[in-house]
Amino acid sequence: MALIIYFFLFSPYRWWMVINWLQVLMNSLVWGCMYLLATVGLSLTYGLSRFPNFAHAEYITFGAYMAYMFFSILGLDLYLSVGLAVLSSALLGGLSYILLFKPLKSRGASLIHLMVASIGLGLLIRHTLMQVFGGGILSFKMIWSCIFIGPVVTTPLLLTAIVTAFIVAILLHILLMKTKLGKAIRATADNPELAAASGIDMDRVSLFTWLLGAALAGFSGVFLAMRSSLVPLLGWKVLLQAFAITLLGGIGSFYGTLAASFILSLSENLGVVALTWLGLSADYRSAVAFIVLVSTLIVKPEGLISTVKRRA
Amino acid sequence: MPDPLMYALDAVAYAGIFGMLSLSLNLEYGYTNLANFGKVAFFMVGAYVAAVMARMKYPFAVYALVASLVAGFIGLLTSLPALRLREDFLAITMIALGEVMKLIVKNEEWLAGGVWGLSGIPPAVVVQGLSFRERLLVQIALIYGCLVACYVVCELIAKSPYGRVLKTIREDELLAAAYGKNVFRYKACTFALGSAVSGLAGALFAQYIGTVSPYMFEPTVTFSVWMMVILGGPANNTGAVLGAFLVEGFHRSSRLLKDYIGLPLDPINLQVMLTALLVITVVFYRPQGMLKERITPLDRGLLKKLKPMYRRVKTWVRS
Repeated sequence: MALIIYFFLFSPYRWWMVINWLQVLMNSLVWGCMYLLATVGLSLTYGLSRFPNFAHAEYITFGAYMAYMFFSILGLDLYLSVGLAVLSSALLGGLSYILLFKPLKSRGASLIHLMVASIGLGLLIRHTLMQVFGGGILSFKMIWSCIFIGPVVTTPLLLTAIVTAFIVAILLHILLMKTKLGKAIRATADNPELAAASGIDMDRVSLFTWLLGAALAGFSGVFLAMRSSLVPLLGWKVLLQAFAITLLGGIGSFYGTLAASFILSLSENLGVVALTWLGLSADYRSAVAFIVLVSTLIVKPEGLISTVKRRA
Repeated sequence: MPDPLMYALDAVAYAGIFGMLSLSLNLEYGYTNLANFGKVAFFMVGAYVAAVMARMKYPFAVYALVASLVAGFIGLLTSLPALRLREDFLAITMIALGEVMKLIVKNEEWLAGGVWGLSGIPPAVVVQGLSFRERLLVQIALIYGCLVACYVVCELIAKSPYGRVLKTIREDELLAAAYGKNVFRYKACTFALGSAVSGLAGALFAQYIGTVSPYMFEPTVTFSVWMMVILGGPANNTGAVLGAFLVEGFHRSSRLLKDYIGLPLDPINLQVMLTALLVITVVFYRPQGMLKERITPLDRGLLKKLKPMYRRVKTWVRS
């Protein structure tokens, strides 16, 4: 064992010198921001409505496709089309809550039935999109110039994503901590009966959360699609990571999600470094999320946030 | 010229394989309330183990056994962290497992052929000098033999004291624990058994199709199986098999519809959209499925006896 560690550190092939560690950190930052936008809605709705919404992945895809439709097909202004895409994504989330999940809950559907219905809804959305836009790979046809900051390479898109995620995080912090609505959201997630007894309009709070969550998911979808390409499985590919983050951060906790997004993206990027070092395919990066998920369930099923003292 | 009889027989064979998957899910979900959303992972493991071993010229009995053992073992191992927690944690873990398993199969070319998959899997029973139709009939006999065996096993489990414990766990875990049953162990065993049956179904599938590739094992397969159980009626084995036939018939007819009516829709998209709509409708209006759970006289007598005790236990636990 000592011999292995010795060779690992002092072998003539200095693998740790070859890797651009600042770039790894930068990638983790970018992915953490994307994950944060994609996951906040899932975590909040999971905490509020008490079931995992598997259709959340399709809100991400839907936002991306709507942006594509407004920008590339209808030829609208970029910022306007992104705004419209986020709005339509929010609309989809709100509609799926009003038309499907709320009636199901009021009929007393079990947890498993809600999950099955959400998977069904997700497939319905995905295949409708595939029918309308085709199953192939679409692209926004944008070329991003590279920006070099020291040894780190990035693009304006990724910088925009980082700035957006930080603005969103600050706004969410203000919303959840400083406003009455935020207080109501936290109260409902904490104890629905008590919240209802205190005169909180649960329907309004839930609807607002679903709208907000789906809007942010659509926003992240736009970034994900502009970064590489637009495929029908765009959202499904980050769903595994989103669930790992939700469980690691603690269901329904915004600060837990914030921390967990960056923890997961950092461990994924370090995992990719380790994978290339071991000579395995870099496709296994989603396996890192699976490992994080399972170890969370084993070590701390209630998530990170219980370690942090909760403010009242 | 397509042969309509071959198409029908193919559908029958498929329904048999999916009937086994549906039976195994019924054991997990219908009787024990375990949300296995990763059925396709175990199906795939069974199919790949069978494919690898069949290409090495092992007999069917050996590779079917190994396939179900491996699938059962993976099921046991991966469900352990989530079984002590609520149903949704198991559901999330299993969905993730389906993706990770597909990732492994896609990337390990030396073992599983990568994205191209494995082909040239010999059928389980080779009889010389048979026509294509007769060979299909032999396959159907094999598949239905396995299906009947699984049905009998599931029915025996459901009627046995073991099955009653499972139903108790489904209704109230606390009650089962209060009667001294190790809830965790019952759940783990049921999960392993269900996964093993799915592995067997996978082995049958691999030798029937003759080729496996990662693209056959999309999450939509899991969804179809859920659809079968929910439509047919949870906690009813006949219902589960009936559901398999109905869903397979539905899939086939939606494909035929496309060919003969000429809808401007892609058949796969149409099929998935209709299936999703149907499952949402069933969950909405008839969550108990087509065939309700049968309550045997023994169960009824037990229920009568247990109810007062149950109330006492509950008040005792609450106080």
